[in-house]
Amino acid sequence: MLEVKDLTATYGPVTALDGVSLSVPQGRITAVLGANGAGKTTLLRTISGLVRPKSGSIALEGQDITRTPVETMVRRGMAHVPEGRGVIAELTVEENLRLGRMFRGGKDEAQDLEEVYRLFPPLDSRRKRSAHTLSGGERQMLVVGRALLSKPKVLLLDEPSLGLAPLVVAQIFSLVRELVDTTGLAVLLVEQNAKSALSIADTGVVLNLGKVVATDDAQRLAQDEQLRHAYLGF
Amino acid sequence: MTTPDGTTAATDESTDDAKQPGAATGLTLPGSEKKGVWRFVPEKTLPRHLLLVLLAFVGVVLLVESVSDFRVSQLATMAYYVPAVAGLTLLTGINGQISLGHGALMAVGAYTTALMLERYEGVPFTLVLVVAVVVTSLVGVLVGAAASRLHGPYLAGATLAFAVGLPGLAIYFEHTLGGEEGLRVRNLPEAPGLVQDAFFFITGNDLTAGKYRAYLAWFFALLVLFLLSNLVRSRYGRMWRAVRDDEVAAELAGIDLGRARILAFVVSAACAGVAGALLAVITRLVAPTSFTIVLSIFLLVAIVVGGLGSLTGAVLGSALLVFFIPFVTDRAVGLGLSQVQAANAAPLIFGLFLVVIMLAAPQGVVGTIRLRHLTRKAEKAMRAAQAR
Amino acid sequence: MEQFVTLTVNGVILGSVFAAFALTLVLIFRATRIINFGQGAMAMFSGFLALRTIEATGSWWLGLLVAIVSGFVIGALVERVIVRPVESGPEINAVIVTLGVFVGFVALAGILFGNQFRGFPGAFSLQGFDLVAITPNDLFKLGAVVVALLVLVVLFQLTSLGLQMRAAAFGQEVARLLGVRVSNMLTLGWALAGAFGALAGVLIASGSPISPNYMDAVVVFGFVAAVLGGLDSFVGAVVGGLVLGLTSTYVSGYVSSALPTLAALAILVVVLLVRPGGLFSSSVARKV
Repeated sequence: MLEVKDLTATYGPVTALDGVSLSVPQGRITAVLGANGAGKTTLLRTISGLVRPKSGSIALEGQDITRTPVETMVRRGMAHVPEGRGVIAELTVEENLRLGRMFRGGKDEAQDLEEVYRLFPPLDSRRKRSAHTLSGGERQMLVVGRALLSKPKVLLLDEPSLGLAPLVVAQIFSLVRELVDTTGLAVLLVEQNAKSALSIADTGVVLNLGKVVATDDAQRLAQDEQLRHAYLGF
Repeated sequence: MTTPDGTTAATDESTDDAKQPGAATGLTLPGSEKKGVWRFVPEKTLPRHLLLVLLAFVGVVLLVESVSDFRVSQLATMAYYVPAVAGLTLLTGINGQISLGHGALMAVGAYTTALMLERYEGVPFTLVLVVAVVVTSLVGVLVGAAASRLHGPYLAGATLAFAVGLPGLAIYFEHTLGGEEGLRVRNLPEAPGLVQDAFFFITGNDLTAGKYRAYLAWFFALLVLFLLSNLVRSRYGRMWRAVRDDEVAAELAGIDLGRARILAFVVSAACAGVAGALLAVITRLVAPTSFTIVLSIFLLVAIVVGGLGSLTGAVLGSALLVFFIPFVTDRAVGLGLSQVQAANAAPLIFGLFLVVIMLAAPQGVVGTIRLRHLTRKAEKAMRAAQAR
Repeated sequence: MEQFVTLTVNGVILGSVFAAFALTLVLIFRATRIINFGQGAMAMFSGFLALRTIEATGSWWLGLLVAIVSGFVIGALVERVIVRPVESGPEINAVIVTLGVFVGFVALAGILFGNQFRGFPGAFSLQGFDLVAITPNDLFKLGAVVVALLVLVVLFQLTSLGLQMRAAAFGQEVARLLGVRVSNMLTLGWALAGAFGALAGVLIASGSPISPNYMDAVVVFGFVAAVLGGLDSFVGAVVGGLVLGLTSTYVSGYVSSALPTLAALAILVVVLLVRPGGLFSSSVARKV
């Protein structure tokens, strides 16, 4: 579904990504792991187009999207839930969701919104409330719901577990797994909480200082003690 | 005073017009051995500035004595712009506070001067000037205190409101301040007989009243430049730059941000006070129309052109205001515009200039110029080191 | 007592026009976090284009239309060409650029239209009613501002375009990720502000003599009104405008007609020192 080849990105003199290659297949969760500053967030931002890569290529369903403008990504079927969740706090829950739905086209907006409310009951009871009144877990639901409304083929998730209670994290992760298994969604999941991520992922990619140091089946990675200690902190 | 060794031997002793690297800072970098006449320029700041100022005054005398009356009046006009632009350079270039209110501060100095000259005949002009400076500085304390809490557009907006609002006082206190028509400035300073005789003795020319006032104005303008240039190089200058560049670091270093900013504001207000006093005496009329927001914008253009943070640039900027504007206006008339229309040509060009320079130098004018200056200095030092 | 009523009524009317102008400043600030000091001059320019149209065609309404359309276009052009490059740099750059726009447009107007005062016809009769010293022209101003305000509210709160603009203003990067063409929204914000500014410019001119400097004081009042209201609040701009309008007429009437601007300055200083975020700001802490 999503192919990244030899991606390099720099911020001035600093190389954030150094020849990163990975693939995100349909119906699978690919976890990107590593310490702070390893380049995980930059990877997602470069894929979705917020950052321009210096070299390398990105292809979605075979089509090159390396330099496609970020605003068109949603139409192409890529949704990116950014670091910090990206809730627009000044807007209401419903307005946030409508934004997610806006560029998909088609007529069933109300219906699609209702589906999301069914999926996330806490959002249902807060439709007209300003988004800044939501708790961390509710915000995560909001942004995932918002992303899903664009019916993406690829979902980029940046540290969804950040600041959330373990129970909530488990809920969200299991929801993602279910979606992937039932709809064939491809997910690229960036996480610092490597243990939880590897528990639902199919493949794990470990980054260190902008380079890929390991790509393997998630369970095998979880069992590789040396690797875990060196790069993943557990 | 030390001259580094190595001046003799290998280096060429011929007079070298290019300013030697190292002379500006007083440090001796490799390759900065002084050649020729530059050996006589003092290393220490104070004497060097004094020398420059004296030379400048001599230059002014030579100029004034050799040009037409019209040019003399232009030079006199430049004399009252210089302290205003220099003070604003300190405030904006070195301390980073933008002010659109300095035209209004000049008005305070000018009106104070006019009133004092009217009420107290026979008082020496220097005293009148001092009073004008004190009054303007007091206003500067008030405005500066409010301004020190504001940044960027808020500061610009507040000083804009000040500039647009203050002339209203002149109209409100019509009786004392002359209302819309303004006040005629009387009891202008005149040269004492002794000075007139001495002047005739030295130059062979008459010291007319107009020329005397021009010299008087330039004397004070250069005095202000002298004081400012030393202040800028002192620890106050460093303190102001620190506050401009990195507030957090400055605070951690123990600098009281508010006090530093207010001080810079007061100093620049004092300069504007001098400028206003000189303006009163040179133009002989103080009215609200002389102190519109356009004046403050002109001052801003002058410091942007001159290169924010450079006092030499302040002089250049002042020259620009005085000589460029009539030049442009004449060209505009030549192109077929009416006199009234042509008066808009210079502001139009200034407006375009302000826009263009921000687009062409996006790091900010300060940033670009300092960057280029530092780069050049580093390149020079490198070349000198490589040459040995 | 009668004077008080007259002053109050006039204050509300003047305040409504200040509110319209303050709204334009808020529109721009919300879109690009810049205070456009040139807004008044741009509005003045549109005002003069309206005058020329009225003089050429005799139709006041056509003049208004020309002003609004030209304001829209000028706003878009200024944002694209002049302001876009400095939107992300140090804020002093934007200040200087907008000041350049201010000076430039005033000078350009002077060259094209002359510096002397010219009469601008009123929309309606300038003759007051018997009971209160208010004219149909004044009522029109009030009505026009109310309508314009309603249009703004409907646009922003009820349309999907308005939602996109708010998203672009409050969460630029996230909005881009969601598919909003943020760059176009910024330009649209400036264009709308230009159109509204032109409306305010025509309303202020209506029934009075104008010169290229006629909007200068309005910039000060509008700025103070916007700051008072909290620079990102539409409601705040309206309240701020009314406060400034009333202050201006009361000071003019009871003290002196030379002092309203200083009164505005006093209000500004108090607001910035006591409650810098303004009365209605939704941002948590405003760094002024």
